[in-house]
Amino acid sequence: MNMPLKHSADATTAEEGLAIQEEQAKFDSKSATDLAMQNTLLTPRFYTTDFDEMDAIDVSSVRDDWDELIDEMVSDPNKGHFKKNADWDQVDWEGMDPALRKEFIDFLISSCTAEFSGCVLYKEMKRRGTNKDITQLFQLMARDEARHAGFINDALREAGVAVNLGFLTQKKKYTYFRPKFIYYATYLSEKIGYARYITIFRHLQAHPEHRFHPIFKWFEEWCNDEFRHGEAFALLLKTDPKLTSGGNVLWIKFFLTAVYATMFVRDHQRPAFHKALGVDPDWYAHEVFTKTSELSKQIFPITIDIDHPRWQPTLRRLHKANVAIAEAKGQSGLAARLRQATNSARAALAFVSLYTIPAKKHAVPATTRLEPAY
Amino acid sequence: MGWLTRDIERAPCTVEISHKFESLHAHVRFNNGAVINPGDEVKVHGPEIMAPFGQIVREDREATIFRASKLEQLWTRLTGDVEVMELCEFSFSEEVTL
Repeated sequence: MNMPLKHSADATTAEEGLAIQEEQAKFDSKSATDLAMQNTLLTPRFYTTDFDEMDAIDVSSVRDDWDELIDEMVSDPNKGHFKKNADWDQVDWEGMDPALRKEFIDFLISSCTAEFSGCVLYKEMKRRGTNKDITQLFQLMARDEARHAGFINDALREAGVAVNLGFLTQKKKYTYFRPKFIYYATYLSEKIGYARYITIFRHLQAHPEHRFHPIFKWFEEWCNDEFRHGEAFALLLKTDPKLTSGGNVLWIKFFLTAVYATMFVRDHQRPAFHKALGVDPDWYAHEVFTKTSELSKQIFPITIDIDHPRWQPTLRRLHKANVAIAEAKGQSGLAARLRQATNSARAALAFVSLYTIPAKKHAVPATTRLEPAY
Repeated sequence: MGWLTRDIERAPCTVEISHKFESLHAHVRFNNGAVINPGDEVKVHGPEIMAPFGQIVREDREATIFRASKLEQLWTRLTGDVEVMELCEFSFSEEVTL
């Protein structure tokens, strides 16, 4: 019998990690292909952006905060965290309610794809840049995303779902996003991700009987990675005041509204998941929006008025229209096409109604950095 | 690159797929320094690359880059932003029912 192998999640350098991985591979006799598993092809998207513009970012105006954040990421507080230990309880996949199982696997696959796409995007930025500050940041974030994806993948394997990475040999098209849109979207995505995970984590701390899978126990440290990534994007936004003033405030409002509305609609489409967690999706949405708004005040000069009388009922209308569109899509005939068109118009109107709710304005603090406090 | 014509290039590349617990990733690097622009399409040749669980697979392959025409590139730059919400993660797929 050989010595127990060191886990490469504990490696300090890339070289050490690779050496451990290669050693480990020799002992891994169970290849995914040997097992009769459900095969899921990951379908990440591929992006380009204005890499020169991104490379020209100068972080000297936020140097102290920047260095502190990068040092924290380099120290890698979550190294070794993303692996199973005694806390990983046995999961009764056979006994799980089929509706819950379906929704939970959707959660795992979607989360895995998102982490994976994040990794591809960050890695590409790292590769195309020459600015040391920027390339180092993206390299560190790619490391975290790949680690998260690997962790979710392991949970999927346990559920009998094998992730297929064969997409690379398929023809794929590269689309284009403007750098500022990447900043707004990923900043919000990281911060709302933190708020979503920490809200579930705290809820399950108080109600452990609802923790139907051990992965939720990892959410606290996990979302601290998301929090740090969000901090990095906040600092990037801070380097150019134009990004958070003038006409760009309208873009910020658009992204806030779109991200909140999408989250509301998607969560309400997964009733079994939320019921099993003992979470009311309306309560959850309000909690997550409140936390995200509070956090985003660090850099955005506006927040959405989520207590406005029009907010909640319009979100419900949007959700209803979305369900009706999907139903009509599944049917044939002129009447179905007409229903699809009517409901698409309803959804668009609902979004406009949400977007035109007056935003709350506030002063942005001189220093950007925050610590996770929820 | 013409306004309406698409160039086709071959480029040697290295594909790395990691199917490991601590890192799940997949990357293509062009070994001749080729740069991908908006609207370009890339096809890596050869059979599907599968990394068994617990392994990293690195292979040198040949790729074809289908260069977008100037018009297509401009169009992608102008319209790509529409899909930017894809960058946000919401834990669930967009399917209304599963």
